[in-house]
Amino acid sequence: MIKKILQSSRLIKPGDWFIIFLFCLLIVISAKVLWDLPQGQYLEIHKNNEILATYSLNQKTKKQIHGPKGVTEVIINSGKVRFSSSPCPKKYCIHQGWIQKANQTIVCIPNQISIYIVGGKRAYDTINY
Amino acid sequence: MHLNNFLIFFLVATFLGCSENKIYHKKDFVFGTMIDIKIYGESDINADKVSGEIFNEFHRLHRLLHPWEKSPITNINDAISKKKPIVINNNEVITILTDAKYLEAKTQSLFNPSIGKLIKLWGFHSNEYVQEGIPNKDTIRNLVSSNPSMKSIKIKKKVLRSNNQDVQIDLGGYAKGYALDQAKKILTKNNVKNALINIGGNILAFGKHGEREWIVGIQNPRKPNAIATVSLKPGWAIGTSGDYQRFIIINDQRYSHLINPKTGYPESKTQSATILIPPSRNSGVLSDVFSKPLFIASSRNKIKIAKLLNIEDFLIVMDDDSIFISKSLNNKINWEKELDKKNITIF
Repeated sequence: MIKKILQSSRLIKPGDWFIIFLFCLLIVISAKVLWDLPQGQYLEIHKNNEILATYSLNQKTKKQIHGPKGVTEVIINSGKVRFSSSPCPKKYCIHQGWIQKANQTIVCIPNQISIYIVGGKRAYDTINY
Repeated sequence: MHLNNFLIFFLVATFLGCSENKIYHKKDFVFGTMIDIKIYGESDINADKVSGEIFNEFHRLHRLLHPWEKSPITNINDAISKKKPIVINNNEVITILTDAKYLEAKTQSLFNPSIGKLIKLWGFHSNEYVQEGIPNKDTIRNLVSSNPSMKSIKIKKKVLRSNNQDVQIDLGGYAKGYALDQAKKILTKNNVKNALINIGGNILAFGKHGEREWIVGIQNPRKPNAIATVSLKPGWAIGTSGDYQRFIIINDQRYSHLINPKTGYPESKTQSATILIPPSRNSGVLSDVFSKPLFIASSRNKIKIAKLLNIEDFLIVMDDDSIFISKSLNNKINWEKELDKKNITIF
């Protein structure tokens, strides 16, 4: 048994060690890069007090959400997101425009729908919206 | 296949990382705004029970104090408009009205909970705003000169009278703060040690977030992110009056729901006023009520009013994006990195 392991370790040549080292380095670097991405990776859509859905921000798509007042539409456009149509009377949510950073949020109070970009470290526990 | 495995590992690791802190989080919509409750370090069952109790209390207060849907307050307003005395059988309503009257006097009527008629005139007494343009100038002037004030309200042996028919009580600047103080009682009664309650921007830090203090973001009035963050010591409350949640736009001009009782017009030179209130029995009410005078007062009177009300911690964003901040709050605050600090004046 031990003999076999020793034999196989002799099979790994210096060049192989170099390849192994290179891959280890690749893992460390990619982990660091992936974890430290400045942008939030996910979009959370909340309806009233529940998380309705979580989406990737890396897509181009429209999502329709049914709230108590009707259908609200949210546009996701490669890393950013905004309300595009809403049955609420004053359209504050649409006027807020695009959000793209972690912890940013827009709330549509009349239709009880809110969107959050999550990911990364939260800078605060709550905000005086 | 291998990539999928990596992604699954990555997601699992991320979620495991998140579940380390014992935070219970619940949201609901009451008082026409969003309520956000966080409870730290309790079992989910207990946190669920306590937050349920708090939300029930908020719904009760909403029905008790509603300014335009039938409530004890609208009953009182009906009686006042008919110049009739009314018997109030609810001691809590009497206590609230007495306190609101006291606070109006203290703020030199810059917080005035009796201008319901003006608020209605500007279209803020409705869940659905119907854009009708700027109210008639003369109507506004008449309402202001009739001088509605809580001073006109006398309560004797549960009978309320007012000799001013233009008085219409609207506790919109008081109810959310009062609700915070009620939440504080419920948390104490249930032996919850750590919670963070946010009622439409009126926030109470109850205890801590475990080892660290609760951190609150202060909203940029014109962008969907924070201009700064501040750590709240246990028991502190923070309140903001802003023109960014409830407003109307007529001819490209923004009109906020914060109406100056002295002019009858929405205050337009201020974007937001944020204050911190140290622990006290009624810190919630004070955080709600005292942010109004700071928002409404003219820019040179703002600092004077803060002194008068003993508000040591304030942050005011003006219409030109300039910021007034007190020295005390400036020592506690962490500015957003990208904020232009040229415009900050420390008092």
